[in-house]
Amino acid sequence: MDERTFEILETRLRDTARHFPYPATPDFSRVEAIRRVARRQGRPRVQWRITWVAASILIILLLAVMATPTVRAAVLEFIQIGVVRIFQTAPTPLPESPVTATPLPAVTGTPSPTYTPRPIPVDVISILDLQGRTTLEEARVKVGFPIRLPSYPSDLGSPDQVILQDHDGSVLILVWTLPDSQDKARLSLHTIEPGSWTIEKVKPRFLQETTVNGRTAIWAVGPYIVRLLNGDLDIRRLIEGNVLIWTEHGITYRLETDLPLAEAVRIAESLK
Amino acid sequence: MGTAHQASQDDGVTVRLACQGDELAWEALVRAYQTPVFRLAYLLLGGADEAEDVTQETFIRAYRSLERFDTTRPLRPWLFKIASNLASNQRRSIGRQLAALRRLFQPERSSIEFPVEVQGEQRQQAEELWRAVRALRVADQQIIYLRYFLGLSVEEIADAMGLIQGTVKSRLHRALERLRNVIDKDFPALRDWNDGRTNV
Repeated sequence: MDERTFEILETRLRDTARHFPYPATPDFSRVEAIRRVARRQGRPRVQWRITWVAASILIILLLAVMATPTVRAAVLEFIQIGVVRIFQTAPTPLPESPVTATPLPAVTGTPSPTYTPRPIPVDVISILDLQGRTTLEEARVKVGFPIRLPSYPSDLGSPDQVILQDHDGSVLILVWTLPDSQDKARLSLHTIEPGSWTIEKVKPRFLQETTVNGRTAIWAVGPYIVRLLNGDLDIRRLIEGNVLIWTEHGITYRLETDLPLAEAVRIAESLK
Repeated sequence: MGTAHQASQDDGVTVRLACQGDELAWEALVRAYQTPVFRLAYLLLGGADEAEDVTQETFIRAYRSLERFDTTRPLRPWLFKIASNLASNQRRSIGRQLAALRRLFQPERSSIEFPVEVQGEQRQQAEELWRAVRALRVADQQIIYLRYFLGLSVEEIADAMGLIQGTVKSRLHRALERLRNVIDKDFPALRDWNDGRTNV
């Protein structure tokens, strides 16, 4: 097709288009569906975007915050690490300790949903009062988990006392006593099998998050009340030492010592 | 080009306002483009009701995608692109097939009546040319509608069809060649007119 024919055809098409009898265009700006889409998705869309951004930031912050045990404790009222539950505030009114040199402050708080308040005196017992004395060899036969011992400090040696308690789950307590006192612990290590026991610590004076072998651990500074719960069985003790709590392979470890945190972590990471 | 650029800039502001929930801005955009969109839909589908449905859906979809619209580009080709896609879907839909069946019992749509002010031979030739265009395949019709009926530039057509401008020019040329062939074959009355021996 030559250029002239091309131009003529274009001209004719434009002429035809100019006179083309289109139907009258409805006023779509007044059509409810089109107006509605702007109303529903216009402002709300901007608001939704803001809401989504705000919600996302909030969720991220919440997750970040809740990932921190100490903060989680503030929100949830307790920290759960292994079988140990640590309350920042006492779940029930607790009596004053008759023996503590540093009296616990009067504590009140929201009762634990799983606990029925009962007037039970705080039971402070010495190492010698612990039930379930055994030997390391016997314990190795009885427990269903490997018994690990600290290899630090190098002079620590074998535990002076081995106590095995079983309440639908073994609790192995290894105690290293002071050289001059067989009823005072230099170091104790609880190895707690998952079971029906829940150990609650009530209002430690100081709580710090740390790690043991890269896993989250909690460093609690006493004095504080330890409460052991197993169904209706409720045992409370006053603990004056510092405790490092962590879990490995489903086993909860609880290292009690008067050493500083760094030393406690070093001991914990030396378990073999 | 300058006018189109200015329109694009103005549209950009209005689009941004509409995105921010300004209903009046959105209404202004609808009013500004409802006629060309409706006309394109009508040309592509051949029925006022179907064109109305497609136009309405075009604006609804456009609003939902408005935030993604590049405000440095002209709005009209973007709307035409949405409308063309919807019209294409409509053509394939069951509803369209039923509509086609209905039209079997109605007057032939290609014999559209031009306004009375278009007199005599001019009117007859316009109607013949329209029928010749309708005899082309849809892709050829579309590019002819965009270029000559709706007055888009090659650049705007490229935007609307998602093509590069060179492809638009060659497709346009081929569409006109095929139109010329249809005229030569089936519309002898237009041949003389097309040779320039009759003026509209």
